[in-house]
Amino acid sequence: MAIIELRDISFRYGTGTPFEKQALQDICLSVEHGAFIGIIGHTGSGKSTLIRHFNGLLRPDSGQVLVNNEDIWKHPKQIRSIRFQIGLVFQYPETQIFADTVARDIAYGPKNMGLDQETINQRVREALSFVGLDDSYLDRNPFRLSGGEMRRVAIAGVMAMRPAILVLDEPTAGLDPEGCRNLFDHLEQYRRKTNTAIVMVSHSMEEIAEHVQRVLVLDKGRIVLEGSVPSVFAHAGILNQFGLDVPQITKALLGLKKKGYPVDTSAVTVDQAENELLRLFEGKDDE
Amino acid sequence: MTRDITVGQFLPGQSLLHRLDPRTKIVLTLVFIIQVFVSKSALSLCFLIVLLGVLIACSHVPAKKVFRAVRPMIPVIIFTALINIFYVSGNPVFHYSFIRITDQGLFIGFTLFVRLTALIAGCSLITYTTSLNQLAAGLEQLLAPLKRFHFPVNELSMTLSITLRFLPTIAEELDRIIDAQKARGADLSSANLYKKVHAYFPIILPLFMSAFRRAFELTNAIECRCYQGGIGRTKMNVLRLSRLDYQAIVFFCVAFGLSIAFNLYFPTFF
Ligand SMILES: Nc1ncnc2c1ncn2[C@@H]1O[C@H](COP(=O)(O)OP(=O)(O)O)[C@@H](O)[C@H]1O
Ligand SMILES: [Mg+2]
Repeated sequence: MAIIELRDISFRYGTGTPFEKQALQDICLSVEHGAFIGIIGHTGSGKSTLIRHFNGLLRPDSGQVLVNNEDIWKHPKQIRSIRFQIGLVFQYPETQIFADTVARDIAYGPKNMGLDQETINQRVREALSFVGLDDSYLDRNPFRLSGGEMRRVAIAGVMAMRPAILVLDEPTAGLDPEGCRNLFDHLEQYRRKTNTAIVMVSHSMEEIAEHVQRVLVLDKGRIVLEGSVPSVFAHAGILNQFGLDVPQITKALLGLKKKGYPVDTSAVTVDQAENELLRLFEGKDDE
Repeated sequence: MTRDITVGQFLPGQSLLHRLDPRTKIVLTLVFIIQVFVSKSALSLCFLIVLLGVLIACSHVPAKKVFRAVRPMIPVIIFTALINIFYVSGNPVFHYSFIRITDQGLFIGFTLFVRLTALIAGCSLITYTTSLNQLAAGLEQLLAPLKRFHFPVNELSMTLSITLRFLPTIAEELDRIIDAQKARGADLSSANLYKKVHAYFPIILPLFMSAFRRAFELTNAIECRCYQGGIGRTKMNVLRLSRLDYQAIVFFCVAFGLSIAFNLYFPTFF
């Protein structure tokens, strides 16, 4: 069963003003337990607007958002309870840190849920371990941490609510390659361990290719492509048309194919490409 | 949400008023307001109101917009006018226990209403037709003579333009932080004031942190460009009075002269 389902969502900003802007149009989408979904699209395509609909920060002009098969806008007063089930991590989440200790900042969400102190403490430790920080961080001043550590603390702050889906808006923006890899390792472990679905907005095709199971491509507020990673990246031409690219490794294989080598261009990660190339060369040796 | 609060209310356009130099507009608006407040004659006041109407028509700003600028101030204006009605002495026209209304009071109350309305309409007209950057540049040039008295005019205008530049950015930031904390279950709708203040803490604090961070970054950027105050700085867009400005100045001199003449020759209210 889907945790969340979006049915024909349309949304426009600034209705009735000169700045009116159709940001989303007829979006359909559903997320199952444990899924790992990537959303790509160039700047202004509506990615951030879309994920704000997941937990009721924005209300669609038309269409429905169903969480556990129930329309979240049926009881607008209870929208807060939805936010605990659908965890949203914004771009540069470290800028939302406000407390004087890491523990207190991570505890903000669970506290808003009305949990008792003991449960909160337990959740804080758990969330901190999910992002790969040990308990020595609990009493540290979050503003004295490195940028990467601050980001992980901020993500832990959402994980501590134990949402059924974790939605991240460009989680690796501004991190160094090491920090990116580290973050993904922990996200993947977290997903496996807790069966939490992850929806990730990203600019990096390599990240998407490497980690997610299903990709949505957004352009001007519409879903223009959708499917498994290889099937989406097989459409290099269409992606280019929407201002997007395929992973570099896929590009390299496409280049080889153009030169006349019989390669299978569906590889999207370095490992897959390595296998494919080895196969190709071994095939040659045989001749 | 907060993004709806645009800073200033400039409506881009090509009308006569839009094309005037900001300095001309600032000075003429000031003189207009002074006239509206010192005019003792009904004829003069009516004349000034007609003048304002003509200006609004020239500005291509919809009258509705001007009214919308005045509207939020109406309760304050009425309150001020009422106080004057009750407290000014003169010949009583209405008397009931401690309430005494005099003819003088009625006049003053009514004219105060007209004057304040004209003041706000006049100010809104200049902000509708002049971008904030232009206003800041105009103000800087008008204040330039004060440099002689070591008044930091350049620094002041620099501060002003930086503030104007960053207000929308900070409003956007505020939106984002509110959304982020709501996503963690922040309840901002509580009716309890104490709870409400408490709920806003996780929003205000990150907002300040980010404002300070931006300020430090900007300071560094400014210092790297060897900024040392206004010494020897020139402008990219130098303000120049055009023919239109001289025509406007002559027109207003005549208008204000007429208004003064009305005051001198028809000094009473009737
Ligand atoms: N608060 C807002 N008010 C008005 N327009 C907005 C607002 N936020 C985003 N937009 C517009 O909606 C479109 C989609 O924006 P967004 O969802 O932020 O795109 P993305 O995250 O894919 O870069 C853009 O054209 C943007 O200018
Ligand atoms: Mg975005």
